[in-house]
Amino acid sequence: MGQKRVALVAAGITKFGKRKATFRDLIAEAGKATFDSNKNISPKDVKAFIISTVYPERSAFQGHPAPLAAEWCGVRPTEFHERVENQCGSGTSAIRTAYAAIMSGLTDLVMVVGVEKVMVPSHKEIFLNAMAGSDREWESCFGVTPPPLFAMVAQAHMQKFGTTEEQLALVSVKNHNHSKTNPYAHHQKGATLEQVMTSRLIAAPLKLFDCSTNTDGAAGVIVALEERAKSLTDKPVYILGTAQINDGYPWVAYPKDWSTWPSLRFAAQKAYEMAGIGPKDVDVAEVHDCFTISEIIEYEELGFCKKGEGGRFVEDGQSDYGGEVVVNPSGGLIACGHPFGATGVRQAWEAYIQLRDEAGTRQVKGAEIFLGHNLSGLGEHHILIYGRS
Amino acid sequence: MKEKTTEDYIIDPDVYICDPVPQQTPDQNMVYPFYDHLRDNRLTTTRCKDCGHITWPPKIVCTECMSDQLEWEDFPPTGKIYAFTVQVGGVPPGFQAPLVYALIDFDNDLRIISPLIDTDPDDVHVGDEVVLKVVEAPRDRVLFFFKLKK
Repeated sequence: MGQKRVALVAAGITKFGKRKATFRDLIAEAGKATFDSNKNISPKDVKAFIISTVYPERSAFQGHPAPLAAEWCGVRPTEFHERVENQCGSGTSAIRTAYAAIMSGLTDLVMVVGVEKVMVPSHKEIFLNAMAGSDREWESCFGVTPPPLFAMVAQAHMQKFGTTEEQLALVSVKNHNHSKTNPYAHHQKGATLEQVMTSRLIAAPLKLFDCSTNTDGAAGVIVALEERAKSLTDKPVYILGTAQINDGYPWVAYPKDWSTWPSLRFAAQKAYEMAGIGPKDVDVAEVHDCFTISEIIEYEELGFCKKGEGGRFVEDGQSDYGGEVVVNPSGGLIACGHPFGATGVRQAWEAYIQLRDEAGTRQVKGAEIFLGHNLSGLGEHHILIYGRS
Repeated sequence: MKEKTTEDYIIDPDVYICDPVPQQTPDQNMVYPFYDHLRDNRLTTTRCKDCGHITWPPKIVCTECMSDQLEWEDFPPTGKIYAFTVQVGGVPPGFQAPLVYALIDFDNDLRIISPLIDTDPDDVHVGDEVVLKVVEAPRDRVLFFFKLKK
C-alpha cells in the first residue's frame, strides 16, 4: 500500500482591501469563491471545517468563530471543526491541521477558510490591535508592534551584511509590480524605486512601502485525501512537504543575532527532505514579506541564495520572472495585503492556480514546485510545499 | 514622551479590556514582587534555586527543570544596546511618537526590549550603555523604561 497523500481540490479568494464588509461577509464570500472553483463539491459534501483567524474578538468582538464560519459557508460539520490561531502564520497552520486530520483518518476532506477583518473604522484601533499578538505583560505594554521589531531586524542585517535601504526597497518594487496582474490584490498600481524610497518613515530604516498592508480579506481551500481528490478534480495540487517550528517567546527569547533565523533554516530543511527536493527545485514561492527585510532573510534561510546575499539576490532580479525563483507573484503581504488569518490560505490559493496553469498573466510557466512560507515571529515559521504530482 | 502612556485606554474605570499595562498586585498576578522591586528602582527576574536557570521575563515555574522554587535576582545595573529604531509612524493610541525602541543586552545573558525615555533619538548608538528608568502608569502601576547612561 502506498503512502497516504493529501491534495488541494478547490481554492477561492475575496477581493483584498479596505472592504465595506463585516467579518462574516468576508467568510461567506470566500466560501462561495471556494465552492465556485470546483463544481464537483457542494457544502453538503463537507464534513470537516477549519477557520483560521487571529483576532475577531478585537476587530469584530466575535469569539467562537468556527461554527459561525461553517454555518455561513453552508457547512454542518460532523467529523471535525475547529479554529486555528497562530498569529500571522495561522493560515498555513490551519492547512497543516487539515492535513493532520486527514492523515489521522478522522476525515478525508476538510474545508479551510482564513479570514481577517482588520480595517475597523478607527485607524488608531488597527495599531492598537497590532499589539495583541506580542507578549502583553512584558512587551506590548510599551506599545511594541511589528514595525519597530522588524526595523531592528533590518538594522541588524544591514550592520552585519551591508544590506542597503535600496535593496530593501527593491523587494517592495517587485511585489507591487507583481500585484498589478492580481485583480484580488489591495494595491494594483505598481511602485517605482523612488516612490518606495521617499514614502514616509515608519521606523528607521523601514518606510511605509517596506511594510505589509493592513487589509480585509478571506480565502478558502478544500483539502482531500488523494483517492477522494482524484474523484473531484483531474488536477489536484499535492502537499509534498511541510514543517513548523517555534524557537522562543516573547521576541527577546529568540536567538540573539536577529540577522540570522536558524529556525527557518531548520524548518525549510525538514520540509525539503519530506518533499524529496532541494531549494533549487522551487519554481515559485509565496513567502512572508511582512516587511521587505523579511523577504530578504527568507531568500537566505530557505536556501535560494547564500547567507548575507539576500539583498543582492533581489537586486540581480533572481526573485523575479526570469530569475532563480519567482517570489510573491501575487504581490505578497506587501502589495496583495495581509489579513492575518487569511494570508497562509491566500498563499495556498496561489499554489492552486499556479500549479494548474490558471494564474493568467502572472503564471510562472511550467511551474512544478511551489513553496509557501508564513512566519509569526523571528523564530516561528510554517512551511508548505506543493507539487503538481 | 509623557509619562501617562496608556491613559487613553481607560474608557470606563471598571473596564480593563483595552488596557495593555499588566495587573501588578498579589490578588491578580503571581509575579507581583517584580513590580514591588520596580517601585524600589530595582530591575529583577527569577532564578531557579534547584538548577540555577535564569530567564527573562520572570516565571513562577522553572522552564528548565519544572521546579517552583525560584528566587528573585537583580539585573546588572547597566545594559548595552544591540539594536534600536525610532518609530515615528503607526504608533498605537496612548503612545506618542517618536518612540525609541531598543534591544538591550545584559551581562547575565538576558535581553530586554524597552523604549528609551528622556533620550534624544539622535544621541543613540548601537553599543551605548543604558540604565533603568521607572515610569508610573495609570492606576498606581509602574513600567520599566530605560535611558542612556550619562
